[in-house]
Amino acid sequence: MSERIKKETLPSHGKRVPAYVWVTLGVTLLTLLLHAIGMSGDLVNVALIYLFPVLVSAVYWGMGPAVYAASFSVIMFDFFFVPPYLSFTVEDLRYLISFVVYLAVAILTASLAGRLRQQLEMVKAREATTNSLYALSRQMTAITDLNTLLVNIATQVSLTLGKPAAVYLPDGQVDLLVTSSPASTSEGEKDGWGDGESEIAIAKWVYHHGQIAGKGSSTLRESPGLYVPLRTEEQIHGVLAVSMDAGEVHEQQEQLRLLEACGGLAAGAIARVKLAEEARLAQITAESERIRTALLDSVSHELRTPLTAIIGSATGLLENDALFTPEDRRELTGNIRDGALRMNRLVTNLLGMVRLESGMLQLNRKWCDVGDIISVVLTQVRGFSPHRNIQVELPDDPAFIYGDEVLLEQVLVNIISNAIKYSPDESRIVITVTSDKSLSQLMIWVADQGIGIPEAERTRIFDKFYRSESTQHVTGTGLGLAICKGIVEVHGGTIVAEPNPGGGTRMRINIPMEAHGLRFPYSEQGEVEE
Amino acid sequence: MNGPLGARILVIDDEPQIRKLLKVTLQAHQFELHECGDGEEGVIQASIVHPDLIILDLGLPGMSGMEVLRRIREWSQVPIIVLTAKDQEGDKIAALDGGADDYVTKPFGMGELVARIRVALRHVAKTTDEPILRFGSLTVDLAQRQVELEGTLVKLTPTEYEMLKVLASNAGKIITQRQLLQQVWGGHHHESDSHYLRVYVGHLRKKLNEDPTNPRYIQTEPGIGYRFLLSAE
Repeated sequence: MSERIKKETLPSHGKRVPAYVWVTLGVTLLTLLLHAIGMSGDLVNVALIYLFPVLVSAVYWGMGPAVYAASFSVIMFDFFFVPPYLSFTVEDLRYLISFVVYLAVAILTASLAGRLRQQLEMVKAREATTNSLYALSRQMTAITDLNTLLVNIATQVSLTLGKPAAVYLPDGQVDLLVTSSPASTSEGEKDGWGDGESEIAIAKWVYHHGQIAGKGSSTLRESPGLYVPLRTEEQIHGVLAVSMDAGEVHEQQEQLRLLEACGGLAAGAIARVKLAEEARLAQITAESERIRTALLDSVSHELRTPLTAIIGSATGLLENDALFTPEDRRELTGNIRDGALRMNRLVTNLLGMVRLESGMLQLNRKWCDVGDIISVVLTQVRGFSPHRNIQVELPDDPAFIYGDEVLLEQVLVNIISNAIKYSPDESRIVITVTSDKSLSQLMIWVADQGIGIPEAERTRIFDKFYRSESTQHVTGTGLGLAICKGIVEVHGGTIVAEPNPGGGTRMRINIPMEAHGLRFPYSEQGEVEE
Repeated sequence: MNGPLGARILVIDDEPQIRKLLKVTLQAHQFELHECGDGEEGVIQASIVHPDLIILDLGLPGMSGMEVLRRIREWSQVPIIVLTAKDQEGDKIAALDGGADDYVTKPFGMGELVARIRVALRHVAKTTDEPILRFGSLTVDLAQRQVELEGTLVKLTPTEYEMLKVLASNAGKIITQRQLLQQVWGGHHHESDSHYLRVYVGHLRKKLNEDPTNPRYIQTEPGIGYRFLLSAE
């Protein structure tokens, strides 16, 4: 407790000299005032009035100035009001007893007032510490990214203590990494504190021994920094270090305590983020496990079926060539081609999924004409849709979107192929493109008159490898729509399946027409026709 | 549509299976086939055999297909059709800009490849100073700078006309966005100006009464460029 008091009074060190000046001035003025209004006869009241400066200095400046005020007041009282006037000699020796009593009362009052003041300051300081710890803990809980967290801890600690701080985290097995070390704003020359070899060496020692070291602690007290291990119950996560000034020992003790509290908070936060990360990894592992199983099932079936057809037809042709009529031969070779095409689709989708999953998918964004994309898609799907009536309704103005045309084309190929796959021969497929300039959104509808999708499955069909129960008889891997969703979302758009008012399914793709605030950079050039 | 019989084709591909496939089918189409399995040898063969057309695989081990293309283009204007795997968008453009005449993606249909070979061979045979290009009901008169569709004059802006000229005089052949920008706007263009192409192609299509979703003349090769369709002929 006394250390805390010392610490809190320390900053007033420099103010003490003006305090004495103020006391001197105040008492002198009071004396002049009392003298002027002729209170010299009323000794008791004058003595009581002289208690004021003592109380005031006790409350505002503490013990020292209060005692000084008391002593100075006694001298003034004696000199100006106790007969003989204007002399330090005392006529009646009983006055001496009064002086002693006055001094004792003054000192007692002063010490009481001073203690009150100190307690107030202590409470204030505690509140400040609690506040900064509270701010720190509140910030810690909101952050889920380890790096941001570390930068935040260092900044917050550095702000609280007014000194550069650094956080060290283990890097793999051997090395400790300074993850962040922002210098306190006032001390520019200390930029990058904590990068030095000796500092890292001490941090390593602290990390491995789990003990506090540095200035103000029992170990390595000659070091300019203070190092606190970030410890939770099970393990040490890292080291928090603060550069200390050459302050007094008590001050360091106080900061040590604060730093330990910060360290505890930081350790908890780091542990939380690490656990969250581990949980996420575990979830990803489980998910990839599930996908791997689904992939194996799907691949073994989807790949083997066309392979069987290809191998069977090819060996048939090779071995029994003479047996087949020209029509048989055509049929078998057609079989081979269809099987190979089917395998090609599967491989394309698998590759697309891998690219999407691994984050390798880089958008090659350009301004593209949606009508153009649809025309390319139609030439691709016409090959396997001889009996569908495909209609396209485009807006009058060409609609441009800023996107990757090859990927968007893949989306539409998948969607339109699905519409063909799940709808009967001779049925109608309508592709409608509309643009909403005010929302800066482009909408593409692909409506078919097929079997439709039960409501419960309308979101699930976009999951990887999800195949609807009702469509098990149609070949497919359940990858196409998942890829579509991935691509559309990378473009910042959405894709949903809706029931088509006329029966069947309607897929709606919404894509922002602008990206990053870019507008289609074209205005009519005003070219004159020849 | 019969290609020149007996045209000599050099296949540079490291996959024996693809070479065999090409050899069997192209010979069945009356072409004379030469083949080799690596790029270095391919360059030498190209100078010894003097083929009428080269089919070049981009994914060669050792000397890459792009390098082979560059070496051959140093001294020869022989048509080169590049074989690529579909997802190498950038490679296709680089190959076309680097002097290839066309590309075919793997896996490819034989009919498509043979059609491309015929177009490329005919393109060489065609005299380039032919002043009037005819495609069905569309006539482009290069001497008069006039375009007629179904007997009526089509009014085009200078830029639209230049684009049509470049595309039509390379009919059947793919023109990359960069080539088109270069030939129409000259040197002062930027890669990112490709959206102008889209706008002008849109205008051009409208003036040629073309359904953009089912083009008669100008076909978009997504991500790469445009091709003036020969089938309109």
